[in-house]
Amino acid sequence: MTALAAPPATAAAPAPPAGARRRRLSTRPPRTGLYVPLGLYLLFTLVPFYWMLMYALRPAGRSGVLPWPLTLEHFRTVWTGLGFGIFFRNSVLVGLVTLCFVTVLALMGGYALARFRFRGDRLFLVLLLCTQFMPGVTLLIPLFILFRQTHLINNLASLVIAESAFQLPLALVLMSSFVRNVPVELEEAAMVDGCSRLRAFFAVVLPQLRPGIVAVGSFAFIGSWNNFLFALMFISDQDRFTIPVGLSYTLGEYNVDFGALAAGGVVAAVPVVCVFAVIQRFLVQGLSAGAVKG
Amino acid sequence: MRLLPLRSRIARRPVRAAIAITAALLTAAGLTGCGSDSGAGKTEITFWDNNGGPARTPIYQHLIAQFEQANPDIHVKYVGIPSASVQQKYDTAIAGGQPPDIGGVTTSYLSNLVGQDALEALDGRLAGSPLKDKLVTGLVNTVTATAADKKLYELPSSGNLDVIWYRKDLFDTAGLQAPKTWDEFFTAAGKLTDPAKKQYGYTLRGGAGSIFQLLAEMYAYSGQTGFFDASKSTVDTPKNAELVDRMSKLFKKATPAADVNNGYPQMVAEFTSGSVAMMHHNLGSSSDVKKAFGDKVAAVPLPSTDGSKSTVVANPVDGFAVFKASKHKDAAWKFAEFLVSKESNSYWNEKVGQIPANSDVESEAWIGQNAAVKDALALVRNPATTIVEAPVYLPQYSAITKADSEPLYQKVLLGQLSAADFVKQLGDKLTGAQAEWDKRHK
Repeated sequence: MTALAAPPATAAAPAPPAGARRRRLSTRPPRTGLYVPLGLYLLFTLVPFYWMLMYALRPAGRSGVLPWPLTLEHFRTVWTGLGFGIFFRNSVLVGLVTLCFVTVLALMGGYALARFRFRGDRLFLVLLLCTQFMPGVTLLIPLFILFRQTHLINNLASLVIAESAFQLPLALVLMSSFVRNVPVELEEAAMVDGCSRLRAFFAVVLPQLRPGIVAVGSFAFIGSWNNFLFALMFISDQDRFTIPVGLSYTLGEYNVDFGALAAGGVVAAVPVVCVFAVIQRFLVQGLSAGAVKG
Repeated sequence: MRLLPLRSRIARRPVRAAIAITAALLTAAGLTGCGSDSGAGKTEITFWDNNGGPARTPIYQHLIAQFEQANPDIHVKYVGIPSASVQQKYDTAIAGGQPPDIGGVTTSYLSNLVGQDALEALDGRLAGSPLKDKLVTGLVNTVTATAADKKLYELPSSGNLDVIWYRKDLFDTAGLQAPKTWDEFFTAAGKLTDPAKKQYGYTLRGGAGSIFQLLAEMYAYSGQTGFFDASKSTVDTPKNAELVDRMSKLFKKATPAADVNNGYPQMVAEFTSGSVAMMHHNLGSSSDVKKAFGDKVAAVPLPSTDGSKSTVVANPVDGFAVFKASKHKDAAWKFAEFLVSKESNSYWNEKVGQIPANSDVESEAWIGQNAAVKDALALVRNPATTIVEAPVYLPQYSAITKADSEPLYQKVLLGQLSAADFVKQLGDKLTGAQAEWDKRHK
């Protein structure tokens, strides 16, 4: 029986010269160089949010940098007095339906743009991008007339349709870029194995598009959540306004309720912050994946 | 990258895609189910509140409940519109062919609505109404002055007045009286300033809306009785320039440095934070200041040069307009009449702290208890008071007093433009606009 030879002793790696060690150490960023700019940027970003929180929790007529004594009076004003509960529900409804429409349509259209060649595809892409130059306010009156004729004024569906129409071009372009990053060979392999194109899409392409779907969906939701103009102009029923319109109620003609405004801002911001906290990992992946051409 | 062939077999079971799309469509269909109800046999009118918010919406809801109780065949659908966007909302609705039946309006944009031929003239209806001869003449005159044909397109409900809100407690501590003359005002602003304690005597409005306030101060200071003298603007006078100069010299000496960009929200925020002793605004901010300071705050009308005779630039008048496109004009007018009736007008103005348009309200007990409104009414009713109507009928008035002149006033505050040059430029622009108006309406 052959005795197993002991593995040859590996010679210890020679210690790097002192200069190399110094160079290696110096390639690590110094802590001050990393954390000071991060800290400053955090301050720049978080101070306005803290200020809003402070006004929301502090009684009117007080000054100082701490919200003391604490009061929830502004939140009560906003939730019950202003009816923020209803506005919140409407915003969530419009946001989620817009997210679904935009994501599904962007998936379908983005796949077509990425995978198929057809006459006018480049022109179509350019036209899609050109629609982004048009501000929504220029189409306000034509859209209003259109919705009035289709009996959609004062109906949340008008907000969904308008928002989806405005967000879809960029979502399509973004999604097509994500799809291009998925190797076509994977789809071909699935089709060779007997999948139809649609089955291959669901089995192979869609799982890899998760970061992209999150990126497109979150932009669609946030865009819809923040939209004020369409919500104000196409809705004329107190129970169907959305959160941005509700926030503007605190800015009266002669008086401003800063506490209520701040409390409303917190109510509007917290769900968005929570959503981003959950999806931020996918968002970073999705945005960076979309940035790299295949 | 190779592309797959265009044609392919259609999957027999696109289950997940179908489920997702169907769910979204069903939800959207659920959204369309939100149709508006109208009770059988009832007339429904839509009322847009031009200043919706937590302060005023409950007041209207109370009044609407009372109206519907008295008129069970009419249902009023209330919609509160944020005041910053109400003009755009009206414009879009008019252009789109779906305005409300009745809406809250102010004279600051009434001429814009009249120019679009959107409103019904109310002179005939008022002539046959119990409100005839009850409305405060000055408010009616302000409303009719906004229309080229001098008709009444808005039923006035409430007037406003420029006042100086001041901290009684700080004045008492400093041994000062509420300022009646401009000299007393400037002296108090200086004496109540202590930069070490971050305490200032006054807060300037250097940003959005500054020129309207400045015009009110100019005319109160100079005592001029009209905006134009034979079509020439009376803004460009030595007395007006003197006021602008004295005001600008307060900047950073008796006011916070940030005031150069102050709109009214920032101004009110500074005052209600407790760091400022005086603020020039109007009766409309009484709920904010009372909420912050209670009895420690009071208001006086703008000072005059000698403390006796006052010149007041008319503030925008609140009221209600009936839209021509309404299919229920009679019901809309009935609601407007109700809102300006003695009981409703008293209730509304007591809550918001403004001047009632119905003269019968002046005998109510709350007027005597609200010193600011009482003094304002007395000033407006005083035959010695001159009320100057700002030329809001001029199409360029808004552009001149906002986009053109607000940056110039900021330059005056920063010492980059003299007060004399500023009033000259403002006066010349107004004169030019008036000349165009006269030419068009000769």
